[in-house]
Amino acid sequence: MRKPFHILCSALVVFVLLVSCETKKQTIEVNRNDKLKVVATIFPLYDFARLIGGEAVDVSLLIPPGTEPHSFDPRPENIVSAGRAAIFVYTNDTMEPWAGSMLKGLSSPGLVVVQAGRGIALTEEHRPDDGHDGHRHGHEDAPDPHIWLDFDKARKMVDTIVESFISVNPAKKELYLGNAKKLKDSLAGLDQKFSAALKTCKHNTIVHGGHFAFGYLAKRYGLKYISASGFSPDAEPSPQNLVRMSKTLKKEGLKHIFYEELVTSRMAEVIAKETGASLLLLHGGHNISKQELDNGTAFISLMERNLDNIKEGLQCRR
Amino acid sequence: MQAVVSAQDFSCRHNSAEVLSDLSFEVGEGDYVALVGPNGSGKTTLIKAMLGLIKAAKGCIRVFGYHPDEQEEWSKIGYLPQKHLSFNQGFPSTVREIVGLGLPAKKTLSGRNREADIEAIDKALELTNISDISHKLIGDLSGGQQQRVFIARALVNEPKLLILDEPTTALDPETRENFFSLVNGLNKEKNVTVIFVTHDMGTIGKYASKLLYLDKRIIFYGSFDEFCRSDSMAHFFGESSQHIICHKHN
Amino acid sequence: MDILEFLSYGFIRRAMTAGSFIAVLCSVLGVLLVLRRLSLMGDGLAHVTFGSVALGLAMKVYPLYVSIPVVMISSVGILKMIERAGIYGDAAIGIVSSLGIAVGVVIASASGGLNVDILSYLFGNILSIGDAEVYISMFLAALVLLTIFFYFDEIFSMTFDEEFAKASGINVNRINLILAVLTSVTVVLTMRLVGIMLTSALLILPAVTAFQIGRGFKHTLFIAAASGVTSVITGIFVSFCLDLPAGASIVLINFALFFAAFSLRRFNVFHG
Ligand SMILES: Nc1ncnc2c1ncn2[C@@H]1O[C@H](COP(=O)(O)OP(=O)(O)OP(=O)(O)O)[C@@H](O)[C@H]1O
Ligand SMILES: [Mg+2]
Repeated sequence: MRKPFHILCSALVVFVLLVSCETKKQTIEVNRNDKLKVVATIFPLYDFARLIGGEAVDVSLLIPPGTEPHSFDPRPENIVSAGRAAIFVYTNDTMEPWAGSMLKGLSSPGLVVVQAGRGIALTEEHRPDDGHDGHRHGHEDAPDPHIWLDFDKARKMVDTIVESFISVNPAKKELYLGNAKKLKDSLAGLDQKFSAALKTCKHNTIVHGGHFAFGYLAKRYGLKYISASGFSPDAEPSPQNLVRMSKTLKKEGLKHIFYEELVTSRMAEVIAKETGASLLLLHGGHNISKQELDNGTAFISLMERNLDNIKEGLQCRR
Repeated sequence: MQAVVSAQDFSCRHNSAEVLSDLSFEVGEGDYVALVGPNGSGKTTLIKAMLGLIKAAKGCIRVFGYHPDEQEEWSKIGYLPQKHLSFNQGFPSTVREIVGLGLPAKKTLSGRNREADIEAIDKALELTNISDISHKLIGDLSGGQQQRVFIARALVNEPKLLILDEPTTALDPETRENFFSLVNGLNKEKNVTVIFVTHDMGTIGKYASKLLYLDKRIIFYGSFDEFCRSDSMAHFFGESSQHIICHKHN
Repeated sequence: MDILEFLSYGFIRRAMTAGSFIAVLCSVLGVLLVLRRLSLMGDGLAHVTFGSVALGLAMKVYPLYVSIPVVMISSVGILKMIERAGIYGDAAIGIVSSLGIAVGVVIASASGGLNVDILSYLFGNILSIGDAEVYISMFLAALVLLTIFFYFDEIFSMTFDEEFAKASGINVNRINLILAVLTSVTVVLTMRLVGIMLTSALLILPAVTAFQIGRGFKHTLFIAAASGVTSVITGIFVSFCLDLPAGASIVLINFALFFAAFSLRRFNVFHG
């Protein structure tokens, strides 16, 4: 008597589990099946895609908020979510070296893969010479992947993304183009604000206690830029480089040192302590915290905050 | 007089299998007990139980009147484990340091450098004839030399109870003879109680006063003379070996 | 820039002082761990720390308050697994460390992301040590050295042969517990100060170097500590001269010291 009863119960439980999984999946499909599903790797791409697509797309950020993208290692659930999407947007193979192998593992022939940085040449890192020592440092020959921090290049990325949207869903062409224009206009506005404000500064050197992310931005506005480590926050800074940064701060009479988002600011703190400078955030936009994501923080507003901080750090008039 | 070792209805298991069942025996002061039995008969297990390395499943076993968990006379016990050659051969310790391990732990880094301890170690090194290699690393010695070191470690404390689990396996004939007479001397002159596990019945028969024949339970426990006269002797070892084991007692 | 000027920078001095204390601490504990075939304890506990920091961040508690107890429990767990279940040390460490990572990943995914990057929070850099942390490293080194000083005979006996130690009346469980606690606190704090790479290297390399030329247990402990400190000081100087990252330079110097010791031994300088 007992045995059949047990088997029956187990079968029932398994059945219920299967059914509940199935229905859950279906409701998701039904709710969103009229929207274009887009997966973007890093925050700027996520934000651009969201703004371009508006209500017509459903964008998700591949890298969990709070995680530093350089050291990211895709997990099964990330791969699955990429596989369910219609469009997969990433920056370039330098920024997301893991993207290539992740996509290879995916068998979804319909997936449109967009390299947003397509056609944008990467410059090799070239640290501005700080004058008194001509030492060479590591990473010099590596290409700089942080193209979204050059707002002109960011506009090109918008074009690339919008093209792919149109190719997948031509019916919404007008909407996409209209939104993209708005976004590009605000990027252009941002560019103007930066160049106008940064002409009026007392100092022209950004000393950054993080990794080398702002090379393009500095170059565009004629600033000098030195950072503690190379392109990835994982790279360890050398003691000489920290000494060099402290010296630069003192020599230029700078009162502020910048630190980067998400990772600890300990390196910047050390130099700040050495020179009596104080800390200001310079947000590279790579990723944002969960809190910021929930608040709907936009790339443009992050950059506006950066401008405020740079103006304070370099003592600009406007 | 209080027994040195006493067991009462003592049983022991490894995982779920009972390895020793219902042992009751006593070892008196000054006894020289040969603990014998086939491989896997529980000799090592019994010794480990005396030292608290294995818990009793039933009954209890006492050494110097103490339950192993409450033993307070550790310094009276000298122990030579059977598997002493399975240690890390690269261990960076000198012979002298290893022999010192047999002394009761003294707090602080210089613990075993006190004069009395240095003397005790020197004496043990001499007894086992390893003074000349006392500054070598343990891993640089031969198997037999290492065994002598562990014998010295068991003796260094001048124990009142000496528990030796197959001490003679790796020794050369001369060293083995010396060792048997060394233990015999301790037993006869200093009244040290000895529990000696061996498969070498012929030699141990010359020295031991008692024989504990174990095979999961006690098959025989009594003097060697009794054993030679008993039926168990012939039963377990056959008539032919009788003269080897009992040569002295016939 | 000359050496004196280099030394005038606070972070260099802090790296050297805190680094030296950490080197002594890790080298000495490392000798005990490596001899008990628990060399990867540092790495294993680092992974557990990852899980526990994720837990702390998700619970909105200061992560160190979660990490230290969790890591302590894990290291006791590793020892118990070896003792009770007869599992090899490396496998036990592997079990606990993969469990640690899995928990971390599950929490990070379940909470839909975090507000800071766990890894950067976990892993410090020897150049970014603060004043308070110099004192922490001194205190910890003193604590570990005093413990080893007071329990020297017991610890030595247990490291050589735990069963014999037990049979000579040493309270093996208590000392194991003390060592597990000290190892956990050391791994968690050192990692936060100098990063996982350096912690792991300082737990293993000075010990292995010392095994090449140590002429006894005490001697080995001293050599390990000396070689750890030497590696930190010269590593920082070398990193300055060659403009290299400090942590990696220290690891390389450690390897060089090991190689030198190994060659000395090969050419019978020490072993007649
Ligand atoms: N660690 C262990 N786990 C499980 N069973 C064990 C363990 N050690 C011993 N045994 C079992 O207990 C029994 C007694 O083993 P013990 O080592 O006491 O034998 P012994 O008499 O010392 O043998 P030998 O003469 O080979 O040394 C054996 O049957 C063995 O299979
Ligand atoms: Mg045995």
